[in-house]
Order: sequence, then structure tokens, then C-alpha cells
Amino acid sequence: MAATRRLQKELADIRDSGLKSFRDIQVDETNILAWQGLILPENPPYNKGAFRIEINFPAEYPFKPPKINFKTKIYHPNIDEKGQVCLPIISAENWKPATKADQVIQALIALVNDPEPEHPLRAELAEEYLKDRKKFFKNAEEYAKKFGEKRPSD
Amino acid sequence: MGSLVENMSNCSVSSHDRVISPSNQNFFQLIVTIESAHLKSNGGLIRPHPYVELNIDDYKRHKTEVLKNTYQPKWNEEFTVLVTPYSILHYRVLDYCKFQKDVLIAEKNISLYDILSNYNGICDNLELTIDLMRPRHHDHLASSSSSSNNFVKVGELITILSGFQVDMSLVLNPSRESGLSDGEFSTGVRARNRNSSTAASTDPNTSNRHTNNALTHNNIRHPQSSAHNSAEESCTITVHHQSGPVSVTLPIEEPLPPGWEMRFDAYGRQYYVDHNTKSTSWEKPQPLPCGWELRRDNRGRIYYVDHNTRTTTWQRPNVERLQHYQHWQGERAHVVQQGNQRFLYPQHALGTGSGPNNNNTSRQTPGVPVTPVVEEEDRMGQLPNGWEKRIQPDGRCYFVNHKSRITQWEDPRTQGTELIIDNSDLPTGWEVRKTTDGVRYFVDHNTHTTTFEDPRTQVPPIQCSAGPYGVPAAYERSFRWKLSQFRYLCQSNAISSHVKITVSRQTLFEDSYHQIMRSPAYEMRKRLYIVFRGEEGLDYGGVSREWFFLLSHEVLNPMYCLFEYANKNNYSLQINPASYVNPDHLLYFKFIGRFIAMALYHGRFIYSGFTMPFYKRMLNKKLTMKDIESIDPEFYNSLVWVRDNNLEESDIEMYFGVDFEVLGQVVHHELIENGDKVKVTDVNKDEYIRLMTEWRMTRGIEEQTQALLDGFNEVVALEWLKYFDERELELMLCGMQEIDVEDWQLHTIYRHYNRTSKQINWFWQFVKQADNEKRARLLQFVTGTCRVPVGGFAELMGSNGAQRFCIEKVGKETWLPRSHTCFNRLDLPPYKSYDQLVEKLNYAIEETEGFAQE
Repeated sequence: MAATRRLQKELADIRDSGLKSFRDIQVDETNILAWQGLILPENPPYNKGAFRIEINFPAEYPFKPPKINFKTKIYHPNIDEKGQVCLPIISAENWKPATKADQVIQALIALVNDPEPEHPLRAELAEEYLKDRKKFFKNAEEYAKKFGEKRPSD
Repeated sequence: MGSLVENMSNCSVSSHDRVISPSNQNFFQLIVTIESAHLKSNGGLIRPHPYVELNIDDYKRHKTEVLKNTYQPKWNEEFTVLVTPYSILHYRVLDYCKFQKDVLIAEKNISLYDILSNYNGICDNLELTIDLMRPRHHDHLASSSSSSNNFVKVGELITILSGFQVDMSLVLNPSRESGLSDGEFSTGVRARNRNSSTAASTDPNTSNRHTNNALTHNNIRHPQSSAHNSAEESCTITVHHQSGPVSVTLPIEEPLPPGWEMRFDAYGRQYYVDHNTKSTSWEKPQPLPCGWELRRDNRGRIYYVDHNTRTTTWQRPNVERLQHYQHWQGERAHVVQQGNQRFLYPQHALGTGSGPNNNNTSRQTPGVPVTPVVEEEDRMGQLPNGWEKRIQPDGRCYFVNHKSRITQWEDPRTQGTELIIDNSDLPTGWEVRKTTDGVRYFVDHNTHTTTFEDPRTQVPPIQCSAGPYGVPAAYERSFRWKLSQFRYLCQSNAISSHVKITVSRQTLFEDSYHQIMRSPAYEMRKRLYIVFRGEEGLDYGGVSREWFFLLSHEVLNPMYCLFEYANKNNYSLQINPASYVNPDHLLYFKFIGRFIAMALYHGRFIYSGFTMPFYKRMLNKKLTMKDIESIDPEFYNSLVWVRDNNLEESDIEMYFGVDFEVLGQVVHHELIENGDKVKVTDVNKDEYIRLMTEWRMTRGIEEQTQALLDGFNEVVALEWLKYFDERELELMLCGMQEIDVEDWQLHTIYRHYNRTSKQINWFWQFVKQADNEKRARLLQFVTGTCRVPVGGFAELMGSNGAQRFCIEKVGKETWLPRSHTCFNRLDLPPYKSYDQLVEKLNYAIEETEGFAQE
């Protein structure tokens, strides 16, 4: 398996590095192309919960980029209701075979921490974010508390 | 309401028929969580081992785990079930017994419709608390609580419904014959929405008022009033009838097809089990569309029947494939029209020469007025003995052979020499003439000699500027000259008499397949005689032209799975690596190879062309990395990255082993022996790129390509194509069509240029002055194909959907123009003069190799 070798290494590196913001990484030994994990954003309002994501690598990885999906509902201008996220680092135009899953995850966490209302997937949230930050924070926090998973304490 | 009442009487009868019973309704997905139960203790020593069984419409049975020795079982099990808006959820709580039949603790039917009508069609985290009631006389788990009827409450079951949404305005009130008594929902079941901000339990009727807007209110059956007000009910139905045919909008979640089940693995990830084929998949299956059915043949292989069109296919239909199919079907209406518009030489060049070979009435566009008979007679000379020319009421000419009592569209004087070999192709001073017997000969006015040998196919004495074929190089490059070479080869290999192919329009593919494959291949070089069963049109020319066009469109039927559109670009085809789902695919590819060869041999056109890399393969040309760009730009970009970057620095961890996925299966390939152990480095990466290119262009389609080429080679030697490059091959196979420059200009966009930039003005000046062949080649250079979509340039597609023709300012004036076919983009450097632009553009579109990578 072409992608396997590289993904095993990447996975081991990520596990070794002991990221605080990406935990509970679950990968089925028989299918290393599908990962799950919990991201723990640091910035409010998302620091009230943990969010489960799924990373799916194509068989042609690293020639083709992985895809990311949120399994936990999140109130965020760049993440839609289905959990799809628009992340430039894994777009067709920007993808490079040297990009590592670790960088993708870091980019994702950065995006969650600091929404980019200029390129929204949910325009109404972007508008709220820009016009009424207080209300946005309140809603996002409520969401994080209601749907978010418990943040593992350590 | 007035009009509604008026309509009531008309609709009251039909309304009943149109109420959809659960069995034939569209299925949706519903997630049912069986959370927990509180069972009353019977005070005995032995505690129950409770589990829950869930049946949907008496069809699908789901069971929770058996929990041991508890009155407070917590299962927390989630089931994804297929339901209709009228489904009945049947919950049964049972006590597991090891040595005898399990004991039913209690059961309850829940009508989904009643819930939906109370929650405006939405089940999202909806908690139901169900009273578990049991007839008094079963005193197994009996409690002392008394009840007014003969049932006692033995506990409560908590279940959650989720993931279901339906537009209630489109769901009819079900007929009350469904077996449920009214008010069942209201007794013994309490619902609350866990999502709502008010965590407290709400009365369903209150929530109703909150969520319904005025429009939908009519459609909501009030649970309490439903039983009595039948007049109101009819009204409701009338409303639906007015709003058109009954349909249910798609919910957010697509349902699973019958026989499929969603499960979770040990990590909580969803996967899907197909009980029909006993296979599992990570990807969610699409349900079979309406009217489709899964069947097995006598060898146990699964296939799919489309009862709508009465066709079958090996590949499971999904949304994308159906979209392609619809697109393909939509083309049908234009196929014949398109066929009549294709030609190989510009219209205005037709009929300008003096020889009969120059005439080509059969290829005239329908709109072009037919030249008066007399004039044409003058130019063409007499018809052969026994022939007569007639004109149909619609003005179309046809020819009658009184000897054989046959009519045909094609002029007998031009028949068989259809591909024009006109005087302009002859070297200067030469002329074509015919003997009194109609045999062609050539006059060389330079030397005052005549010969039967075509000077264009001879190798004359070496001249200073001669190319490899002995004629001036510039001339040799001309498409027309090459074409005449090819024609000559075809003619000299012609076989006398004819081959008859009788087909029915309904079974065009099968009929053609059997007749072409059961004859020896060389017979396909005989004159074709196509008959559409039951149609009068006796003909060699027009009917066979139509046959080629229709059949070539037919083989693209996405349901045959033989070809797929390359990279979402809607015009060019490539072999589908998944074609093996059709067990006989290689025979079909061989057939298609023969068929394509026949089209070239007989000078006919096919509807849709192939990708440029495919033509290159036919020509046995080496495929380059750049070729990947047109079919898989993402993959191409990654290869470019590998080429241009230092791998040691980036720790890329790649090996000489690769994977790709076909129909959900990963196929592994080692580029070299033990390639999985050989790391890609800066030293060996050139080799890696070369091997990757080769693999990318052939993976999963090698056998099919070989079968196709074998079939082709049996009819026309592939060798004969050596004169052409891949773009000319496309022109030859698909023909050209009149290109509407105005439409082209109107739907072009610019980057770093604007409409008034002088280079842009020059560009359009160049296009307007160009002939059709040049326009077609320019278009081919930029978009990858010479064909324009049926809807014109506005519908031009790129690799990511609609993509207008785009001209971008790139580079310096010394550069050649470049193109990005997947984005329909021309990189046009800011040339200093019109002449320079013309020169560079001409060079770029004539040359096929080498310029693009400069």
C-alpha cells in the first residue's frame, strides 16, 4: 500500500508529538485511510467543547489531498451544517504532496480558533460574526456546550 | 378556500387513490436510538434480561443487546432504518430467556405520520417516552397500579428519533385504513425536542403553534381533532391536489437502499453493509432510484433493471451516473441534427473546383438552400445510365436507380469517392480528368503528360525542400494532403460488393454488435448498406451517416459503463476503468474499435470524441506528463511539484509503489520490481515521474484499450494513421462544425486583459479571418476538443464545472501562446503587433508537441 507507509509514519509522528489540541486519534488498523480525532480549540467561544473530526485520505494520497469532515455540530462561519470545511491547504490548487496531515490539522485548528469571515461557507454566521460578535460568541458557545464532546482533562 | 371547496367534489374520489400507502412510498432514513427503559419491579427475585426489538412496517427487525438482570436497562443503541412518512414503528420490549421463548414485556406501535405532523416534519433529536402497557391477565411483571381499562403500565421506554426531515406540505394525510386507531400517539407517548432551548417537556400542540407558519397550518392534522372533522380532511387533500403531483421532497439525509444497513465499527465509525451482495463499504450507498430493481442472472451476478426505460445495466446506478444518463439522454434529440452539421471542409470551399469530386451536396447543412438542379447538372456531368434525380417536397434531393429500383440520398456520381480529393491538393500544374468510362487520370501540364497514378501518392525525385514524403514540407503538413493519403490507402484496400447491416432503432447497439462481430472484420471495408428495420429509406450514404452517429452516441450510454467523461469535462471520453462490471466488456471494446475504424474508413463521423491522450495512444505516440493535465489536473500538479522541488528537504516519504481505487477497491501497483521498498529521491525522481505518467495514463484501462485497438486494426491498419497527429485524428473522426464566432466572443472572459485591449482585438480579428479548420484547431488547442456544446459557448465546461473560454495575459512577447485545456484558458502573451500574434498563434496551433512546456 503506497499511502499506508507514509500515513503510518505521519500517524506515529503525530501521536509522538502529543498534540494538546488534537487528541483521541482513532485509526482502524485495517484501514489507515480513515482517521478520527478530537480537536480542542483554545480560543473562545470554541474552548468550551471538543469537536470530533474525520479525516479521509484517498488511495492516491499524497498525490491527492485528504478530506476533512466535522462529526460534531459546530457554529462556525467556515464549517457548514454537514460538517464540511473549506480549508485552503487541502484545496486542489494548493495541495502539495509534501503537505503533512499534521500541518492540515494545525491549519484546521487555526481556522476554528480564528474564523475567516471573508471566505465563509455559512454567510449568515459570517455576517453575525462581523456585525454582532457578542451574539455570535453566545450562540457558538451554546452550540459548543450542547453538541460538543467533553474535553478530556489531563 | 372557495376554490378549494369547489374542487373538493372532483377530487374526493381520486384523492383516495392517490394516498400513498407505506409500501410503495419513497424511503427515507431515520435514526432511532433506543436509549433506556424503566421497568417496574415485580418484587420477585429474578430480574429480567430485557432487550428491545424494533420493527418498521413489519419489515425490518432490529434488536438491541440483551442486558442482564436489570430493571433499568440502558442500551443506547442507534439504528438507522428506512421509513416512509407513514411508517409504523413497532417497539417490543422482551425478556430474554435462555431455555424457552422470550417473554414479551410490552409493545407499542408509533405512527410516524402523527409525530411528523406534530413536529412539522422534523425529527431531530426528538425524545419519545413510551408508556409500556400490558394486558392485565398476563401477570408476569405485574404491578399493582390500576388502570381504567384492561391494561397496566409496566414501565417506560425512552427512544430518540433523529435525522429525518420532510416537507409536510407535500405529505398527504394517510388513509385511516392503515390499521392504527386515532389518537394512538396522544395516549401513552410523550415527546420532547432535546434540541429546543426549553429543556422542559412541551406539549406537542404548543410546539406545533410555534413551528408552523400560516402557510403550512392547513396541512397539519391536529391530533385531537383529526378523528371527527372529515370535511377538513378532504379540504387538506384538495390543497395537495392543486399543488400538483404528489411527491415528497428529499430529506437532508439520503436513505439507504433496501438490503443495506449502516453499522458502526469498534471506533464508532459508520460503515455500510450490503446484505444483497454480502459486502461492506465505507462509502454510503445511494438508494436505487425509482423504478430500478436489483436482480441476479442465472450465474448469480447482480445486475440492475430500469423499468422506466426497460434497460439493464451491470453498474449500480447512483446520482452522478443518473445525471450523466440524463445528460446523455438529453443529447439524443440533437444527435441527428448535429450529425448533419458536421463536415470536414469549410462550406464555402465546397463545389468551387471543377471536377466531380469537389461536389459534396450530401454534407450540406440543412439550412443551406439546395443549388438549382440545372446548374449542378452542368458542373457534375450526366447521371449514370438508368439514374434519375428527384426532389422531395421539402426540397431535399434524392436519386433513383431505375435498374435496381433503389433510391438513395447520395449522388451516384460522388458515391464512394466521398472524401474530396480536389485539385487544390495537386502539385502546381496538375489537373484531374476523367476518361469517357469515368476512370480518373491526371494531367501534368508542366510536362504535357498524363498518368493514372495519383501524383500525390508518388514519391517524386528529391527536391530541395522536400519532407519525408517527397513533397514540399509545408504542403505535406496540410491536413488535406494527409487526408488524401489516407483516402488513397482506404481505396486501394477496398473490397468489392457490399455488407448489409440491418438494425432496429430500439436495439441499435445489440443489433449492430452482433452483425459487426459475426462477420470477418475485412468485410467492414465493403460498401456499407445500412437498413433501419421497417423504414423505407433505401440508401447507402444518408442512412449510414445516421447510423454512425446514433450508434456512436449509443455506446456512450453511461449505463453500459464502457466509457466515462474525462475529468468532469463533458465532452471527451475515456475508457472507464470500472468497465469490468460488464463481464463482456472486452468484446464490446473490440466491437467499438471495429466501429471507429469503419467510421474513418467510410469517411463518417461519430458523435463524441475521445481525450487527446487516447488519440495519442491510437497513434502509438508517447504520452507525456503534460497529457495528464487534461484528464487529472490534481495528479498533474503533484507530479509537477515532485519534479520542481527538492525531495530530501521535504521528507516526502514516497515509494515506487502506487494505489488507486476502482469501485471502492484499492488496486496496488509497483512501478518497478520491489518498488514498495524503493524510496523516491532527487536522484531517481525522473524515473519515478516517467513511470507514474505511464501508469496514470494506463491504469485500469490497458486491457480495454488493447481490445479496442485490436478491433480497429482488423478493419483499418493503425499504421495508416501515421500521417496524422492526435488533433487531426479528432477532426477526422468527429468532423468539424460551423463555429459561431459571435457567440464565442460574447462568452469569452479575460484576465489581465479586457475587451478593448489591442491584443484582444487582434485575437478576434484573427479568429474572424480564419477558416473553419483553423477555428476548430484553435478551439481544440485551448479547450481540448474542436466541438462546441449544443448550447453554444455559454455551456463550455471545464474540469470544475462551467468554465468560459478565457484569455489571460501571460509572459513576454517572445513566448508562444500556451493553453490549459482543463480550464479552457489561453495564455496569450502581450504581442507587439497583429502579425506577430498571428504568427505565434498559427505556430502554436499547428504544432502539437513541445511548445506548451516552453
